[in-house]
Amino acid sequence: MRTLLALLAIAIAGCATVREPEPGGPTPAPAPLPEPAARTENLAIAGLLDGARADAAAGRLANAAASLERALRIEPRNPRLWQELARVRLKQGDYAQAESTAARSNSWAGSDNALRAENWRLIAHAREARGDAEGAKGALEAAERQK
Amino acid sequence: MFDRAKFWRYARYTILTVALLAAGFTLYLDIRVRSEFEGRRFALPARIYARPLELHAGLRIAQIDVVRELQEAGYGQGPREGDPGWFANDNDWLEVAVRPFVFWDGLQPAKRVRVAFEGGAVKAVQDAEGRDLPLARLEPLAIGGIYPANNEDRVLVRLSEVPKHLVQALVANEDRNFYAHHARAALSFLRLKGLQGGSTLTQQLVKNFFLTPERTLSRKITELFMAVLLEIHYDKDEILETYLNEIYLGQDRDRAIHGVGLASLYYFGKTVEHLTLAESALLVGMVKGPTFYDPFRNPERALERRNLVLRETKDRGFATMEEYSKARAADLGVNQKAAMGTSPHPAFLDLVHRQLRRDYDEADLRSEGLRVFTTLAPRVQAAAERALERKIAQFDRGKIFGEPGLEGAVVVTDTQSGEVQALVGGRDVRFRGFNRALDAGRPVGSLLKPAIYLTALAEPSRYTLVTPIDDGPFVWKSRGAPDWELRTALAQSYNAATARLGTDIGVEKVLATIKRLGIEREMQPYASTLLGAVDLSPLEVAQMYQTIASGGFRTPLRAIREVTTQDGRPLKRYALAVEQAFPPEPMYLITAAMQGVVREGTGRSLSNWLPPETAVAGKTGTTTEQRDAWFAGFSGDRLGIVWIGYDDNRAARLTGAAAALPVWGEMMAALAPEPLALPKPDGCRSRRARRPRSALPARRPWASRSKE
Repeated sequence: MRTLLALLAIAIAGCATVREPEPGGPTPAPAPLPEPAARTENLAIAGLLDGARADAAAGRLANAAASLERALRIEPRNPRLWQELARVRLKQGDYAQAESTAARSNSWAGSDNALRAENWRLIAHAREARGDAEGAKGALEAAERQK
Repeated sequence: MFDRAKFWRYARYTILTVALLAAGFTLYLDIRVRSEFEGRRFALPARIYARPLELHAGLRIAQIDVVRELQEAGYGQGPREGDPGWFANDNDWLEVAVRPFVFWDGLQPAKRVRVAFEGGAVKAVQDAEGRDLPLARLEPLAIGGIYPANNEDRVLVRLSEVPKHLVQALVANEDRNFYAHHARAALSFLRLKGLQGGSTLTQQLVKNFFLTPERTLSRKITELFMAVLLEIHYDKDEILETYLNEIYLGQDRDRAIHGVGLASLYYFGKTVEHLTLAESALLVGMVKGPTFYDPFRNPERALERRNLVLRETKDRGFATMEEYSKARAADLGVNQKAAMGTSPHPAFLDLVHRQLRRDYDEADLRSEGLRVFTTLAPRVQAAAERALERKIAQFDRGKIFGEPGLEGAVVVTDTQSGEVQALVGGRDVRFRGFNRALDAGRPVGSLLKPAIYLTALAEPSRYTLVTPIDDGPFVWKSRGAPDWELRTALAQSYNAATARLGTDIGVEKVLATIKRLGIEREMQPYASTLLGAVDLSPLEVAQMYQTIASGGFRTPLRAIREVTTQDGRPLKRYALAVEQAFPPEPMYLITAAMQGVVREGTGRSLSNWLPPETAVAGKTGTTTEQRDAWFAGFSGDRLGIVWIGYDDNRAARLTGAAAALPVWGEMMAALAPEPLALPKPDGCRSRRARRPRSALPARRPWASRSKE
């Protein structure tokens, strides 16, 4: 009980996880972390991304979103694709989706602070467009903190 | 006394009346023929497609799986001249002549694709000239339709698309004078032919179009009148084109094959313009009796009939001796494949149909020929069906359960997009009926527990994974029993600890979490709710676990990607939508705890199917008297929900771990799941902890019984 309490004291702050010594049985190798947010090597993704950007520039927003969704089926953890999709949603005027899609990008962004900052700026845009000035300010501050 | 004047008056009246009636009848028929023929738009079923396979370097898929999908789409093995729809392969490469196809984003023309495989993955994708292709999208599999009355299915063709030799063979065998008889000639002709039993093409068309199949003289006369009227109003080509689209050419389970357009796809896996003389002759031969001359069931009879048609075609001067002998020497050339009926995956179709009904009229769905692009992944669906069928058969053998047998349901989704990849509604996977995946509301038992623990972990100042939870009997004060760590209580699915945790946090708060996870049903704010006394369908459970699997982003489950009109005009797109329902930290923790369920808790027997590196997260569920067995779990790429039980709620005497988990394990193992790796959020820290000896489950025989 005392050990437990001691343990508790350590774990109590924030949300702690535990890497415990296994009580027998093989310890599984830690699963590989998702791909870093670096630029993609995948030709298929590059092709779809180019197509989506061209479509978005030409105002064919639904097509751009469709291409990005195709790309996301291939690399669902690629934060750049999520970010691009958030940008398209913003252009489509779907501000709620723009914000949550940018948040999804953030969840896969790892240590890519520049990408995170950009996501927060997207969120700020979306909030401002919805008339949430306070929220937009908070998002911009979050963007600043990523530096 | 005979009154001549009166007689003639009556006679005149009678003649006049008869003439008027006859004229009226003719006029009535004429109006009917014209309005129905002109306004005639064949009712076309909504056509439902699986997701297209998109091949790119690095895609993990074995060649055999691609080949299987091509075969199911009617692609033949071995190159064919000038006619796409075939593949050729060797050990490590595959060449495909992809048919043209109109996708939501436009026409993709026919193309040659070479795919190299290595170690169970695609190594390279190239075009015919050997240039690298970033992405090759194959034609999606047709997986059924939403059919008009009588389940009539057809693919409309223009006369100009139909090969001349097909038309010639048809005319030579069914109606030699088709082009000769004009309306006036037809009148005398029908005296000869019509009343003697044979039918002109026009008469056959009239019969199929306007009339019921009874055999009475009055019907025969009506038919002749209408045929004449049709020939007066319309030219031969119009009549012929309609005939070619109308004609009944076979039966695929409950689906009726109409028209040469669909028949050529159905029997030969090619579009009508590529039919050879021999293939055309086979179809023409079947006009007389599609069942009697069914080339799948009665190949010899069909061959004999085809050769008869070929001879007649030659004798009428429509084929040279050389063409005739070549066609005669050809084999039947039909593509044997599994019968599909209105759909091989009725449960999934049912889900698609329901989602469509929110946006479209039922009548439009059954007649407008809409094209619906769905999220079904044929390989995943096959794995789900196989695993459920096999395991249920095993359980049936192992125990005497009595009739009716054990039932089950499976839902598989993509963890990131919420796309439904597979859905099985019962043990008979081809059965169109009660869809347990959608409509069986069953108690979920411990499947609700993650929601309770998630609610706790969302309060980091009070709860962490190692917070001790009292597992003493709920009603009286435990006698100093050592507590369980929170994660262990979940891993071992301890009821008392969970109930205590739930009431400590507050039932209302837990219910709010369940709602945020995506469950829309109202739940009673009682402690028993926390222990799973709640009925949910497998699909609802999938929606709830989807939010966990995607890291707290709620994503509505979708079965449809896009809908277009019959000619490919985009109508609607069902876009990917996400909504952050939980912050990343508690989601990370609950997922880690659910990985613990599989690593060392009630789900540990999954190691029989999956290597530990896969690190899947899951939860077992068993209800009172073991009436329902559940397993819900996810890898990096897929979420799967399995339910096993009896329709009549009998005790199945099977736990989630013993019945549902093996189905899940076998299905996932067949799909080579991606490992589950979550990015650790900033707010979480790992600490090395030493577990107190007393907390090892094996040392605590007196601990409250695990309830899965």
